[in-house]
Amino acid sequence: MTAQTGLGAVAVLLLGIAAYVSLFASPPDAFQGEYVRIMYAHVPNAWVAYLAFAITFAASVLYLWKRRPAYDHLAHSATELGVLFTGLALATGSIWGRPVWGTWWTWDARLVTTAMLFLIYTTALLVRGLSDDPLRGARLAAVIGIVGFLDVPIIHYSVVWFRTLHQPASIAPGSLKIAPPMLLALMLSLLAFTVLFMYLLRLRTSLARLEAGGEMR
Amino acid sequence: MRDVTFVLPPHSVLLVVGPNASGKTTLLRLLATALRPTDGGGSVFGHDLVRDADAVRVLTAFVGTSAGAYDLLTVRENLAFAAAMRGRPDAPVATWLDRVGLTPVADDPVRVLSSGMKRRLALAQAWLAAPRLLLLDEPYGGLDRDGVALVAEMTEDTTRRGGSVVIATHEWERVMSEADAVLALAAGQPVEVGPVAQLTAADLAAAAGGRR
Amino acid sequence: MNGFLRAAAVARKDLRVEWRGRQTITATGMVALLMILLLGFVVGSEPARAAAILWVAMGFAAVLGIPRVTQGEVDQQALETLLLYPGSREHLFWGKCAALTVMLSALLVALLVLLGVLFGVDVWDHGGALVGVGVLGIVGLSVIGTLLAALVLHVRGRELLMPLLLLPLALPVVLGCVRLTEAILTGTAAGLWPAVLVSFDVVSVLVCPILFEVVMDEV
Repeated sequence: MTAQTGLGAVAVLLLGIAAYVSLFASPPDAFQGEYVRIMYAHVPNAWVAYLAFAITFAASVLYLWKRRPAYDHLAHSATELGVLFTGLALATGSIWGRPVWGTWWTWDARLVTTAMLFLIYTTALLVRGLSDDPLRGARLAAVIGIVGFLDVPIIHYSVVWFRTLHQPASIAPGSLKIAPPMLLALMLSLLAFTVLFMYLLRLRTSLARLEAGGEMR
Repeated sequence: MRDVTFVLPPHSVLLVVGPNASGKTTLLRLLATALRPTDGGGSVFGHDLVRDADAVRVLTAFVGTSAGAYDLLTVRENLAFAAAMRGRPDAPVATWLDRVGLTPVADDPVRVLSSGMKRRLALAQAWLAAPRLLLLDEPYGGLDRDGVALVAEMTEDTTRRGGSVVIATHEWERVMSEADAVLALAAGQPVEVGPVAQLTAADLAAAAGGRR
Repeated sequence: MNGFLRAAAVARKDLRVEWRGRQTITATGMVALLMILLLGFVVGSEPARAAAILWVAMGFAAVLGIPRVTQGEVDQQALETLLLYPGSREHLFWGKCAALTVMLSALLVALLVLLGVLFGVDVWDHGGALVGVGVLGIVGLSVIGTLLAALVLHVRGRELLMPLLLLPLALPVVLGCVRLTEAILTGTAAGLWPAVLVSFDVVSVLVCPILFEVVMDEV
């Protein structure tokens, strides 16, 4: 069994455990009832997305500095997965908000920033695809990966402050106090999703390397 | 392009001939550092084309098919801009305009110039940089007899100062008397490299036309 | 080679070309005017809306005007010549960025006057502060905009990419300028917003010129 398959097996196992704990073993929330269980998917999705973009940033810097294709493959894969998990985070956030707060979207600072993040990194993928020269596309995507990542904290705080000075802060999903059994479920889910992400990242990066073997010199 | 190898000493003029799409412009643009070689390399007066590109650009001036001038600016303003960008903001623009015969139109916008006048402006922009490697890609387009003489003057001036000139052109007859060596290209590969003395006019015509 | 002189030459050249042709300022001005009229009509022209509408209009005007920074060179077939001049490409960045800042600032002044007329807000008494705050934001827009103008140059569909890239990345500028403009017009506290704009400007100024050289690496 290769290391990659091993990692995949561990991911599936952890996901199974986390799913069991989240969906069955952990208690429902006093206020939200069963709907709180969506949090066990939403928060890890958002966490993995941010992790993916941090990896994109590091890989992009390394690629522009050293110009080794391996860094580009990593950046590309991390960006793709990041966009995927950002989309999932937005979707689960929306699904969570609807029954609990009655709206599909809350204009919460974190959600807005996540939506901006989604757009920025999707555009990075677009730029890659729309470039005639793959090497140039890689460079441009790396530039976006760097600028995007550095900008996100500033975007986040400007969005937070834009609202809070005029309206009371909406109750953000993550700001609720969490009882220990629920915290355990959350931690398990975070771990499971992180391992899953690592596995998918490895998988996607090797795929990128194989693809490039045919394209670039 | 493949297998193009040559050494060009100072004080010399290289004539590059070949049919369309033979790689003449590509070669010149590689020397100008506008393109990067995918394989192999080169150096200009000791500076590597890729690693030392900026040093190469200091020494090189490339005159291509487009004038690289701004339609809405006057001839004088364009030349002053080129001088400033070349690190010579105090260059005597009026003198240079006079040298290339553009004084009558000095304050006209480039928009109204004929192609020959635009070509003279491009030549002036290169000339004032006092390049040690002058790269001319089809320089005779639109030029009248005085303009052609200007190119010869520029070539001679550059070589006299210790530089070299590479001229790629279909109109090789004009360069025959000044050229020290000829490089004939066909489909990106050299078919003939050698001193001018060894080649007859018929050889050159055949090479330029691509008939082999 | 004196970088400042080269940058100044580029800035002067860009501004001169713009002045003679007035292409960019006309297009961006008309779009901004249209947006202000449209939003003012649809959302309401109360003074409270003025700041928000102004800066949304500026954002879209910037999206249209910024590609001209590099596209102008391509149209004139002057880009290669420009890139082959010896010297750092950072000088080109600063020159173009400076010219863009001047152009967007001129647009801002025109739009502030429009705001005074259409929305009945008192821009005249606060003119200096409004322009000052605006320029603080415009600097950030120009720095990131110049980088993006170079970035989209060789990508297909560049008109689509510019709003997708500029608006999310420059969101802090728009938000900050809206709040600060409001604060000036209503006489309330500026809060942390000057810090937001300044940090955006500082980070962009440190990062964008270097990335510009990366993007403009090949001709």
